[in-house]
Amino acid sequence: MQVFKLCLKILKKNIRSLLIYIVLFLGISTIMASSASTEQNTDFSFTKSKARLAIISEESTPLTAGLQQELAKIAHLVALPDEIEALQDALYFRTVSYILRIPKGFSEKIMRGQPVKLHKTVIPNSYSNAYLDLSIDQYLNSARLYVEQIEDLSQEELVQFLQKDLAVETAVEIKTNDRQAAKQTYSQYFFNYLSYSLLSILILGLSALLLVFNNQDLQKRNACAPLSTANVNRQFVLAVLVFTVLTWLVMALLCLVFALKDGFTVNILYLLLNSFIFALCAASISYLIGTLVKSPNAIPAISNVVTLGLSFISGVFVPMELLGKQVLKFASFTPTYWYVTANNRLASLTKFNYTNLQPVFTSMLIQLGFALAFFAVALVLGKNRRLQ
Amino acid sequence: MSLHIFGNRLKCLLRDKENVFWTMLFPILLAVFFNLALSNVNAGESFQAIKLAVVNNSSFHNDQALQTALDAAAAGEQKLFELTLTSQEQAEQLLTEQKVSAYLLVDEEPVLVVSKTGIRESIIKSFLDSYLQTTAAVNTILQNNPNNPALLFQSAGERQNYLAEVTGSAADPNNILIFFYSLIAMSCFYGGFWGMREVTDIQADISALAARINISPQHKLKAFLSSLTASYLIHFSELILLLLFLRYVLQIDFGAKSGYVVLTTALGSLAGIAYGAFISALVKKSENMKVAILIGTTMFGSFLAGMMIQDIKYLVSQKFPLLAYVNPINLLTDAFYSLYYYDTFSRYFLNITILGGMTIAFCLGTYVIVRRRKYASL
Repeated sequence: MQVFKLCLKILKKNIRSLLIYIVLFLGISTIMASSASTEQNTDFSFTKSKARLAIISEESTPLTAGLQQELAKIAHLVALPDEIEALQDALYFRTVSYILRIPKGFSEKIMRGQPVKLHKTVIPNSYSNAYLDLSIDQYLNSARLYVEQIEDLSQEELVQFLQKDLAVETAVEIKTNDRQAAKQTYSQYFFNYLSYSLLSILILGLSALLLVFNNQDLQKRNACAPLSTANVNRQFVLAVLVFTVLTWLVMALLCLVFALKDGFTVNILYLLLNSFIFALCAASISYLIGTLVKSPNAIPAISNVVTLGLSFISGVFVPMELLGKQVLKFASFTPTYWYVTANNRLASLTKFNYTNLQPVFTSMLIQLGFALAFFAVALVLGKNRRLQ
Repeated sequence: MSLHIFGNRLKCLLRDKENVFWTMLFPILLAVFFNLALSNVNAGESFQAIKLAVVNNSSFHNDQALQTALDAAAAGEQKLFELTLTSQEQAEQLLTEQKVSAYLLVDEEPVLVVSKTGIRESIIKSFLDSYLQTTAAVNTILQNNPNNPALLFQSAGERQNYLAEVTGSAADPNNILIFFYSLIAMSCFYGGFWGMREVTDIQADISALAARINISPQHKLKAFLSSLTASYLIHFSELILLLLFLRYVLQIDFGAKSGYVVLTTALGSLAGIAYGAFISALVKKSENMKVAILIGTTMFGSFLAGMMIQDIKYLVSQKFPLLAYVNPINLLTDAFYSLYYYDTFSRYFLNITILGGMTIAFCLGTYVIVRRRKYASL
């Protein structure tokens, strides 16, 4: 088992630098955990997101007061001075995401049924802002109906009518235990990020290992040894597997610490299985990269392109819903895509029967297929190089 | 002599083709990936119609107004919903199989049944809320002697837009740019590898090459500065290529102050190289350890500057403002963004001043560690 021992020795020498990545992952996850818990309740749930809203009103009438009161129900009102710099700063630092300016003469125009526009300055692409848009338009459209139809309506009466109408809300029934579902989405984040960190560590660790083994002089010396190539390769692959499993174990344990904070579910078992399969796939990608790369200086750059690139187009950082169809099609030629797809599906599952799990198993099989393909390519390339 | 070292160093560095290739290509490749992933986020065009099942019972049949409203929302090019009329059992099944986002059951009041909470579900709910609220308004009006009831229904169906968007500054706030700015900032700090290499090649106890160079009668600081300039030239050229690629191939708008963007990149490149040199001089461990620290800190800094998830940048600046000011990658990202966003330069200069101070600190630190080294044996 000389080769196996040598591999472990080389990896052990690099262990400190690899630990840095684990710490990095831990840091990122902790920050995500602290932000995800607040983020989730804001953007994606029925407790309508509370956008931070600043209202700059150039007039003060019962109607503007009514509108403000209504908006206060769905947004945090933030008081800001009406100065350009203060407003710019507020948007820049996201102390508010929506600034609404009510121009002078607004109420009068509304009461006369004349066209008038409120001015908004917003941070783009925010779901919580979309709710505000809807609510403001709803309020003023209803107001328009009243003004058109009822004569001699005072502002106070109008505000009272509107207040009553807008209190109406759709009844929602959530079929599954929603609190549980929310928790699973939470652990889904960690398992998705895991793909980034795991791949980084494996690429850096295995390339360090392969660079030593692919050193031509060393290779020639090793070839003299009374060990068959098959034997050497077997030991080498065994060492790679041990390293992969250990790395996966450490990362998965970290994930578990975060995921189990909210209690255990069957989903977590499946998420673990999926991440293990991805680890195998990541190991074979790393093996391929290690075989290809010649200069140690290029490794950080390559690992960066591969890990970040795959993560971005496969929906690790940017949710898949927001990616374009073409991009997803392209991404489906990468294992990360299938890993994330399986994760996302697993997170929302509540019944674990075959029909529900079948797409997950397909994704896992595809990942295994990728693993085999990358490994095979690496072996062929390695052989070619030795023969040269 | 300095020029001689500079020239030869340049040749020497450029001959490591794999290294030059990857350091140049990696930000460009990443930019392509970013662009792929994010182009859709800004355009927001590929909105897919939401699949909604409606239980086709007698109450729904009698509710003519709701039918009209739903039909209107499910028609046309930019339709909001894709409707399926079905029985309750079937709707239930469609929901569990995740074939529809929700189903609507009209009893006395419409009830929306969902399996989870999400963006699509929220949109359906908002639509229904709006419908119910308008209905409530119509009913109230009908009880209060309307002028023209015939026109009321038509008028209720039309929605007027009461909002006009105005920009708060010279440029719209643009979320996507943060990703690209932090990518440039990260590339600047990957210059750290060049700086690291310069220290490795001048410290006699690290490499044989350095031991040889140290024997030469050339002043060490001068030799170091000359070869460092060669590294800087290569790295800065790579960054200029990246900027050109971003501007002209990916069509990313840097705002009106392009000259300042180049200037900032030049400073960023210097800061990155100085940082790498400092880490290399400070960490006495193996090469791998140095590389790991450099990548680790750079990635973490980029993460905090919003490269992976942009909300992190705001989270940090709101909750840990100090961390935002000591993270050089965030300072650089922020400098780029403030150039784009603000009309004034005050915020830009604040960032650049702090970054400049850090660069000087890195340089001085490196100098103090590297100077006057003597070795009893090597």
